[in-house]
Amino acid sequence: MSHPEHETPQDLAAAYALGALSPEETKEFEAFLKGSPEAQREVAEYREIGALLALTGSDAAPSPGLRDRVVSRMHGHIFPAAAPARASGPVARPGPAWGAMAAGLLAAVGLGFGYVQMREVTDLRKEISRVREQYNNISGILAERDATIKQLVGPGVQLFQLTASGDPNPAIQLFWDRAQNHAVVHGHKLKAVPQGKAYQLWFIKDGSPVPSVTFKPDPTGDVHLEQISVPADGELSAAAVTLEPEAGSAQPTSPILLVGKLKES
Amino acid sequence: MIRLRAHGHSATPGPITLSRQPGLMRSTATSPAPTSDTELIARAAGGDERAMGDLYDRYGQVLYAVAYRIVGQRADAEEVVLDSFAQAWRDATRFESARGSVAGWLTTIARSRALDLVRARGRRDRITATAAAERPDSSPAMGGWRADPSLGVEHAERRAAVQLALESLSPPQRRAIELAFYDGLSQSEIAELLQEPLGTIKTRVRLGMQKLREYLRPFYFERGP
Repeated sequence: MSHPEHETPQDLAAAYALGALSPEETKEFEAFLKGSPEAQREVAEYREIGALLALTGSDAAPSPGLRDRVVSRMHGHIFPAAAPARASGPVARPGPAWGAMAAGLLAAVGLGFGYVQMREVTDLRKEISRVREQYNNISGILAERDATIKQLVGPGVQLFQLTASGDPNPAIQLFWDRAQNHAVVHGHKLKAVPQGKAYQLWFIKDGSPVPSVTFKPDPTGDVHLEQISVPADGELSAAAVTLEPEAGSAQPTSPILLVGKLKES
Repeated sequence: MIRLRAHGHSATPGPITLSRQPGLMRSTATSPAPTSDTELIARAAGGDERAMGDLYDRYGQVLYAVAYRIVGQRADAEEVVLDSFAQAWRDATRFESARGSVAGWLTTIARSRALDLVRARGRRDRITATAAAERPDSSPAMGGWRADPSLGVEHAERRAAVQLALESLSPPQRRAIELAFYDGLSQSEIAELLQEPLGTIKTRVRLGMQKLREYLRPFYFERGP
């Protein structure tokens, strides 16, 4: 592979759009960018690539209530906290809805009561918004639990145990959804890891270890991980856990701590 | 409708052809022209909160997908999406279509907020968990999206194109770009993580992104005038 020995500022456009430049490089490139319409176009185009890459982020869907929460948060910004935010932008937000509503209210109740009425309306809206947010948060939590339960008990999901020589503790339960090639992992009684270290999950495919996620247990020794991708091609015989550097390893560097077969007995 | 043709086995990156069949996307001759993204942003800048709802219908799933991939938890990902739309609402008046599409702008906000959240909570383990995870390559794209079925199809088609384009990259190129995009690592950090020379990583990022640009030009989200 060739190395960028004669790197030009233009060469940094892709990395800049990805946010992958160092702070110093970013500063230098932004100075260059101001005077280069061509580089500005390139950065804009690479940002489109970023938007497209986002599509491959995850299959997970947000809870159905999220849209309402998004819109209700807009309410929170329109009423009464909106004015300072609008004033801070280069182009002032006209705020026609707020202006029309305020004018209507003042006309209806008279200037004397207008202020009090508006305060009451504002308070009520804030209260409704708060309650709605609480409701949506609870709905989100329940939806998350439902999704987790579905991942654990869905058709085609199989449970495998990863243990140390068959001992019940510590252990990891691996729920493998073969249809989706995803797994959910729940571990318990795991020992705390040393500083700079983490557990790493491995899938043994065609006899070779394939690196998967790294993780650390919480203070009680539990860990719960979702949306773990399972290698799709080849024959999976087992899954194992080793202790690795925090950033993970490409190959195991320490003895296997937990292991379990991934074949139906 | 996007036609995707891959030559060779997916595990062996080879030449791919991506083309879009004209006239079969959401904007057909028989349906009214949809409001453009830039029009929606302009309406939001004018205080129309329904415009933000419409933008959520178009891009809420996209933002959630990238947020979830980065933060790894539903509740956090939803918080990122909420904050991102709130920021877009506040900054709508500053949006400049000449600098890119609304989708690109929203995605940049969401990705930045998600990475900030991970960094703020010191959840490096979460980053490495997602970084080390292999990418799903056979799951249905955007299967859970309900807001607008036609958009779900459109996103799915785009996503398939992106996956094919990613498969056309060499694994080291793909890895470098994913570590930068999803884990917010700088090229220097990637070089350190992979124990490769910095120049090699820079080349991988640059050539990989150039290749993606070449393949994915027909699939960009709406651009401003």
